[in-house]
Amino acid sequence: MLNRINALFMLAVGIVMALVWPAMAQDKPRSGGELIFAVPSEPPSYDAHQEETFGVIHPVAPHYNTLLRTDPTDKTGTKPVGDLAESWTISSDQKTYTFKLRSGVKFHDGSDMTSKDVKASYDKIMKPPAGVKSLRAASYGAVESVETPDAHTIVFKLKWPESSFLLNLASPWNFIYKADILAKDPHWYEKNIMGTGPFLFVEHVRGSHWVGKKNPNYWDKGKPYLDSYRALFIKSSSAQVAAVRGERAHIQFRGFTPADRDSLVKALGNKITVQESPWDCVLMVNMHHDKKPFDDKRVRRALTLALDRYTASKNLSRIAIVQDVAGIQVPGTPWATPPEDLEKLAGYGRDINASRAEARKLLKEAGVPEGFSFTFKNRGVPQPYEPVGIWLIDQWKQIGLNVKQEIVEASAFHSMLKRGDFEVSMDFQCGFIVEPDLDIARFLAVSDANYGKHKDKVMDELYLKQARATSPEERKKYLRQFEKRLLDEEVHVFYTLQWHRIIPHNAKVRGWMVTPSHYLNQQLDTVWLAQ
Amino acid sequence: MGAYLIKRFFLMFPTLLGVALVTFLLIRVIPGDVVELRYSGDRGSVSQEVIDKERARVGLDQPVWKQLATWLVGLAKLDFGTSMWTGAPIWEEIELRFALSLQVAVMATVIAVLLALPLGVLAALKQDTWVDYVIRIFSIAGLAVPSFWLGIVFILVLLVFFQWLPPMVYTPFWQNPWENMAQLIWPALAVGYRYSAVSTRMTRSAMLEVLREDYIRTAKAKGLWQSLVLRRHALKNAMLPVMTVVGVEFAFLIGGLVVTEQVFNLNGLGLLFVQAVAHRDYTLLQALVMLVAGIFIFMNFLLDVAFAWLDPRVRYA
Repeated sequence: MLNRINALFMLAVGIVMALVWPAMAQDKPRSGGELIFAVPSEPPSYDAHQEETFGVIHPVAPHYNTLLRTDPTDKTGTKPVGDLAESWTISSDQKTYTFKLRSGVKFHDGSDMTSKDVKASYDKIMKPPAGVKSLRAASYGAVESVETPDAHTIVFKLKWPESSFLLNLASPWNFIYKADILAKDPHWYEKNIMGTGPFLFVEHVRGSHWVGKKNPNYWDKGKPYLDSYRALFIKSSSAQVAAVRGERAHIQFRGFTPADRDSLVKALGNKITVQESPWDCVLMVNMHHDKKPFDDKRVRRALTLALDRYTASKNLSRIAIVQDVAGIQVPGTPWATPPEDLEKLAGYGRDINASRAEARKLLKEAGVPEGFSFTFKNRGVPQPYEPVGIWLIDQWKQIGLNVKQEIVEASAFHSMLKRGDFEVSMDFQCGFIVEPDLDIARFLAVSDANYGKHKDKVMDELYLKQARATSPEERKKYLRQFEKRLLDEEVHVFYTLQWHRIIPHNAKVRGWMVTPSHYLNQQLDTVWLAQ
Repeated sequence: MGAYLIKRFFLMFPTLLGVALVTFLLIRVIPGDVVELRYSGDRGSVSQEVIDKERARVGLDQPVWKQLATWLVGLAKLDFGTSMWTGAPIWEEIELRFALSLQVAVMATVIAVLLALPLGVLAALKQDTWVDYVIRIFSIAGLAVPSFWLGIVFILVLLVFFQWLPPMVYTPFWQNPWENMAQLIWPALAVGYRYSAVSTRMTRSAMLEVLREDYIRTAKAKGLWQSLVLRRHALKNAMLPVMTVVGVEFAFLIGGLVVTEQVFNLNGLGLLFVQAVAHRDYTLLQALVMLVAGIFIFMNFLLDVAFAWLDPRVRYA
């Protein structure tokens, strides 16, 4: 009897294993294959230290490592982990960061990577030599010195504690270059590749494609899983969708529209996997503080009070790449505004009728007549500018404003903002990591991106306090004060809806996780292709 | 004839100079410049200091007359400089795309001529019969349907019915003829159809005009075979306007397939043109305009030579 029970049990286990095994096998990384992805932009140069477009990161990042990176399994993209750094310690005054580097890391030419290379790379980023650009040097203003006590240790000493410092070291832009090459020619990396990353450079045909192949001597043994990758430069969004649908490309890492997602899912069914995330990009509304009546904060407040963000979130997300109602940080990330706090800000209340009644009252108090006209300048880019622009105009109409939209060609938009040639204008921002210092520095009075020309010392002070806070609780407190001042009390600018990142990709692609940033998780060392 | 050709040849240069001046000045009227665009990407918050330094590096801080003088001197030496966006030599940027654009233009021209000549002649010979009507409908449809739309239809049909999409990376013909044709035949067909429509209509009307000439009647009266009358007397004379259309269309195809190249993701000159405008890459844009203008002017010169060869009235005028 016991034997019969044992036999039945073994049979049951066998059946379960037979059913589960293929799925389990599919979840175990498999080596081989070529990942093909579409990139809607192209690298102007190969030197990420001096570039701004994801068109550099997507094809070039797999050739490099950074000192830290964000955890590729963290959906918020905000958790720093070691890349070339094996471990690190932070002093109790939070002003000294000591990193222990991995041993046995080699550049693609076979030479050893040491702390000298990390220091040379950071020197180039923080204090570029004459004639060399570095776009993110300002993010390292707190650094007093970088020291290399031995070949595998690097120490950053700061002038003051900086909350964002670790994440800034995980920046996907901060490729580690070879010191000897930089010493000979600091421009070399603009046109050449020499990193320690999981893939070796094969070729770049401008306007067409970029190819990398597996680095057989990669320090992280067993990785990368792919034999090679091929980035296809495809500008047209319909051609990108066709490429995924026709299985000429497995994925496009930046994002597709809801309509593209739906058409791909309809056409390919279970051959497509869809990953979605709030996107660290946002459209804001700028009001010029030197132009009447927008110099009056009651008018600015009325404009944000008119917006029914929650209804828009449901409706606009069907046709545009926007979705969440959010404050100054991406929902679901560590510094995001809790919903109960958010609802207390102007324009975020659940009772839209009450908000609009208050908006009308404020306009009346400010002497703005019913039917007042102004021009809203929008960027000539279909997604999501056009639908969001139309929505804004409709919302402002609800409080008796008559708004004319002027579409400014995308190439001319930034210069229009810088000239201050607007009354009310759309503005935009995309971050490479969700980190308050990076996302809200643009609101400082001295910022080059302060297009509305506001001057607010209180906000500048709050920014500094949050940036130098030594505990998360303290930082959160200052961030909420900053946010209230920016979006509610002074309404220097206001946010519309958070962008929403939609990545429908071939179901064979595994080991890649969507994050709020289209700059992260692009080393491709963890990515593999299922059979 | 020699004097005629020399005169036509030297007339090309003032035309090119005029194109150069107009191009240089017009593109500077468009707001924004390459530096601002490059650093106003996703964050849009690069410091003014970085922007000013970069502007100085690419020479945009110089007075316009000085920029023009530098460019014209380079042009005289056939040195187009480097792309303001990528920093790569302009010749390199163009060379990469030229082979593809030229191949599509040649293939589309072959398709167009192979369709247009027989159809145009047949329509003229069978004027006002059902054959003529069918050919006219076919050619009017070709004129009415934009080639990029036809391209989209091709892609959809291939995707929906055959679950197949043309390759997205250009492979030169001598490396892999099958892969090359699999990619380029579709845009060539889409463009060639519209191109053939124009040429068919031109062939038909030219043939109709020639067939009514006295010398055709005389040739027929002499008892010459119909095919001989057609080939030797009618077609040769009807070819002059057709050649003009084919020549100008060919020149247009080299740099004008902007949308079709986008639809098929072809790395050609048309797409490069659009990128150069979008990036305000003045040096690249100037070089491209000069290249296309040069091709147009050279094609016109070749047509002049051909006319002189085919038509004694031009030769002896």
